Amino acid sequence: MKPSLRTSLLGIAAPLVAVLFASIVGSVVIAAAGKDPLEVYQTMFSFSLTRFDSVMLILFRATPLLFSAVAVSVGFRANLFNIGVEGQYFIGSFFAAWVGFMLRGLPAVIHLPLVIAAAMLGGLVWALVPAFLKVRRGVHEVITTIMMNSIALSLVHWLIYVYLDPGQAIPGFGSPRMRTPHVLDSARMPTMHGLLNPLLKPLGVEIPQHVYLNYFLVLGLCVVFCVDYMVRKTPFGIEVRAVGHNPDAAETAGIDPGAVRFKTFLLSGALAGLVGLSDLLAYFGYLDIDFPKGYGFTGIAVALLGKGSPAGMVLSALLFSFLRRGAEGVQVFLGVPMDTAVILEGVIILAIVVASSIYGRYVLTVQKREAQSHADQ
Amino acid sequence: MQISEMIASAIRMSLPVLLAALGAIYSERSGVTNIGLEGMMITGAFWGATTAYFAGPYLGLLVAVLSGALMALVHAVASVTFRVDQIVSGVALNTLAYGATRFAATTIFKMATTTPGVPRLPGIDLPVLSAVPLLQPMVTTLSPVIILAFLLVPFTRYVLERTVFGLRLRAAGENPLAADTLGVDVLALRYAGVAISGAFAGLAGGYLAIEHTGMFVEGMTAGSGYIGLAAMIFGNWQPVGAMLASLLFGFAEGLSLNVVAEDVPYQFIKMIPYVLTIAVLAGAVRRATPPASVGVPYERSGE
Repeated sequence: MKPSLRTSLLGIAAPLVAVLFASIVGSVVIAAAGKDPLEVYQTMFSFSLTRFDSVMLILFRATPLLFSAVAVSVGFRANLFNIGVEGQYFIGSFFAAWVGFMLRGLPAVIHLPLVIAAAMLGGLVWALVPAFLKVRRGVHEVITTIMMNSIALSLVHWLIYVYLDPGQAIPGFGSPRMRTPHVLDSARMPTMHGLLNPLLKPLGVEIPQHVYLNYFLVLGLCVVFCVDYMVRKTPFGIEVRAVGHNPDAAETAGIDPGAVRFKTFLLSGALAGLVGLSDLLAYFGYLDIDFPKGYGFTGIAVALLGKGSPAGMVLSALLFSFLRRGAEGVQVFLGVPMDTAVILEGVIILAIVVASSIYGRYVLTVQKREAQSHADQ
Repeated sequence: MQISEMIASAIRMSLPVLLAALGAIYSERSGVTNIGLEGMMITGAFWGATTAYFAGPYLGLLVAVLSGALMALVHAVASVTFRVDQIVSGVALNTLAYGATRFAATTIFKMATTTPGVPRLPGIDLPVLSAVPLLQPMVTTLSPVIILAFLLVPFTRYVLERTVFGLRLRAAGENPLAADTLGVDVLALRYAGVAISGAFAGLAGGYLAIEHTGMFVEGMTAGSGYIGLAAMIFGNWQPVGAMLASLLFGFAEGLSLNVVAEDVPYQFIKMIPYVLTIAVLAGAVRRATPPASVGVPYERSGE
């Protein structure tokens, strides 16, 4: 086998090895809890993949992860670690909800895009402070974005309280449900039942009513591939990669690394603003204190496992979504806590970076050897 | 009375931050960033509380320290031996700690987010000072861990500045190549630095669960690991500076608990430590002098 082919095959193998290693660690954890790992994994697969509603649910749950992974990975390109996706999508979701329930009388073709733009603006606004501090004061973005996450959570809780849905109030008792009003119908994202169910009918399956698979999945796929195109082909994308690769060389070439980092950070924040929309506009319709958390952190795992390639990120998003769904099944049927999925997530991140590091060293050795043999000839 | 109560509460509040900051100094001075302190603190808090529940507080604190150090060793293997991005490894450990704690809590106690109440260590009254009425809130029924933590400040300073180990540790973080040339085992020192930071973070967690709250509650660390890193930066990677910064954070948090203003929503009061952290970092970093090689994996050439 030619060395170049072998290295590229190994490059594909690295994520697979990481997932395999994680499932071994998972087995040990499951066994430690006194359950049979094989039975657990089997249940995980059969529950996730043999039920059509599970498959559709996996697609629905993968949707926010696409946005979150692309937000994280665009930061990686410029050597920025945006752990703030979590807070940025909370703020983005609030902006979206506010535009969704405050602006009345707009047709859906105007209202829905406005709501989406508001979400991006919210995410961008929440990225401003860490981006500014990173570029102008040299403060590492990891600590600031984590702090911004905590602040966002408190702020959104307060905002929910400020904009409490009057329809939920019971006179004399206050409001038992802490949530904003519903967004108007013109701001809701339609689900895909109308389009897909007639097509699926000949196959004897249909998307069940309780699965809110919607067009944000399509939008998410578009964003993943468009951002990849932007980074690879447009002048701005080339600047981003230049700054991420070697800021000094980029500066010599006339690029202002600070400005590029700042813009990339804001772009990452704006993309992060979209993370909560699938849940907000197609499922709940309102924001409450139990709005889904954690997409930002899972997005980091998805971005790392996908290694920045669009197809890789889509597959990883599906994998993590599958893990969550499978873990739910395992909890219900076998009584194994569904936090197994979170453990697997952490181990996969560690395993993928270690595998990539070993792989990188191997490639380097092979290249050295090749250069050596060329020199000898 | 009020003032000394508030100082006492500031000291109690500052402790997890202080221990995390002191631990971070060992790790960073050896050349490794440890963003996983938060996860190590969570781990220490949970396993400390669990052990204390079954076997008492002394063993509980010991297990808290060991579990933190064990977790730190994973960070060392990934970031020192395999030279992966230290931030990524730390973030992964935080995720792992969160999931593993919930998993273990559900398995052992059938509750995902808490343990039952656990016994704490007997409190200590400082001699002589306890006789002064004004000081009483600060110096009576003190947790021994508080005394230990403040003793660790001069101890850390002594270790770093006056011992061979400290000199070599700093060399590994400032100029690993030169240190290696002189026969210092850079990798071993970085392992030691990271392990110590994990042990300190584990102790911080054990303190929170066993001494401060009397049980483990999910989310009880509330970012203290990250705030500890900020305190270390604000303290310019020096133990005494880190202690002063930690007290500042503790004071802010104690203040936010005491000043329950009617006009200010509690959500804003909850934000105070986080806003303060960002403000402190924004002001501190310009004059900061981090170890020259922190965050850079060391690779012996020819390997």
